[in-house]
Amino acid sequence: MRTRNLGEADKIVTMYTSARGKIVAVARGARRTRNRLLGVTQVFTHGRYLMFEGKSMDTLSQGEIIHSFQEIRDDLEKMAAAMYICELVDAFVEVEEANQETFDLISNTLRMIETGVVKFALRVFELKIMQQLGYEPQLQTCTHCGGSVAEQVMFSREGGAVCESCKHKAAPVHVISKGTRALISRILEWDWSRLTILRPSSQSLEELESCMRAYIDYRLDKPMRSLEFMHTLNDFPDSEVTS
Amino acid sequence: MAKYPKPLSRLIDELRKLPGIGPKTAQRLAFYIIEEPMESVESLASALTFAKEKIRYCSTCYNLTDTDPCAICSDSTREQSIICVVEGARDIVALEKTRSFKGLYHVLHGAIAPLEGIGPGDLRVKELLERLQGPINEVILATDPDVEGEATAMYLARLIKPLGIKVTRIAHGMPVGGDLEYVDEITLTKALEGRREL
Repeated sequence: MRTRNLGEADKIVTMYTSARGKIVAVARGARRTRNRLLGVTQVFTHGRYLMFEGKSMDTLSQGEIIHSFQEIRDDLEKMAAAMYICELVDAFVEVEEANQETFDLISNTLRMIETGVVKFALRVFELKIMQQLGYEPQLQTCTHCGGSVAEQVMFSREGGAVCESCKHKAAPVHVISKGTRALISRILEWDWSRLTILRPSSQSLEELESCMRAYIDYRLDKPMRSLEFMHTLNDFPDSEVTS
Repeated sequence: MAKYPKPLSRLIDELRKLPGIGPKTAQRLAFYIIEEPMESVESLASALTFAKEKIRYCSTCYNLTDTDPCAICSDSTREQSIICVVEGARDIVALEKTRSFKGLYHVLHGAIAPLEGIGPGDLRVKELLERLQGPINEVILATDPDVEGEATAMYLARLIKPLGIKVTRIAHGMPVGGDLEYVDEITLTKALEGRREL
């Protein structure tokens, strides 16, 4: 998910594994041209790795690439989206907390991005990672008073619907349509194979993007660095992002 | 560091600030310096301050130089219509060793790394675009072949192509003397894509 240079030729690699969750390891010599760890320690690589446990940090010994996500590397929008996914995982997930669902979510999202369905993949990832972390947005009742909410939901940055009488306490709120509300429910309930057949409207995706942005920023309490770059790309006239 | 006399302790502390120097190495270097003759130490000290005073960025290509413009930019025998874009000044030294590039350079001083908070605005991109107003026919993007380098190359290509200038990327592939069996699939894919007829 992330690499940092260490000394003259080493790298510190942050990876998400199915067996141990997020781990940080040292890859010795991984910046040398002929080192066998050079290719397998590239960001976005899905691979099989052998590590030695260390006192403070593990040492990466060998690696084999399963899927290199080449199409993500060859496209600026896809790359920016994948960087956002990596930053979100790095920010929210604690070290050594294994979760197969999170591993599958990262893997499936990157594959969806690779096929060109970028914006929808990002929204699915945002909702599902929040759900897995126990921050699932509440849409059925008001998160402040527990009362009923209208069909056209007002979504607060605290992560759920608010009723008419509570909206001033939760300001600012994002009004989302009935369709977007249904989309959120489907994303949260459906498994990945069913989600890939969904083709949400651009209005729903925009509504979902703004309310999830506010919710994630509220939970994270620090700015997402990769977002700025993603926004820079939107300034290009020939931006080719698909939904 | 209380066990050392103050001047020695200060020297160790200063050396520790250098990249790749840990406490033990700093102590070893400090002891070495103390045991050296005065002339050697004075020569080292003056080399440090002299380099710091004299070295600055070339106002054209942003390479490190003691003259402005730098030796490469002011060399009229070099091809003035090709610019090779690199991440750092050390990349120029590597490319110059090949003796196969006779054009000009432009140093970005980094690569786009959104996860580290480095965006296009933190690099010498604006200065590159200003240079492209001149008679430039080709820009070679020689950023590193990692995610940050690729992102930078793709970003620059998008900015430069609409100006009608040819944009090329240095090739990726097998290292000379390498063993095909041990090369990873990303590099091999790139090597196959970039194959050429013999």
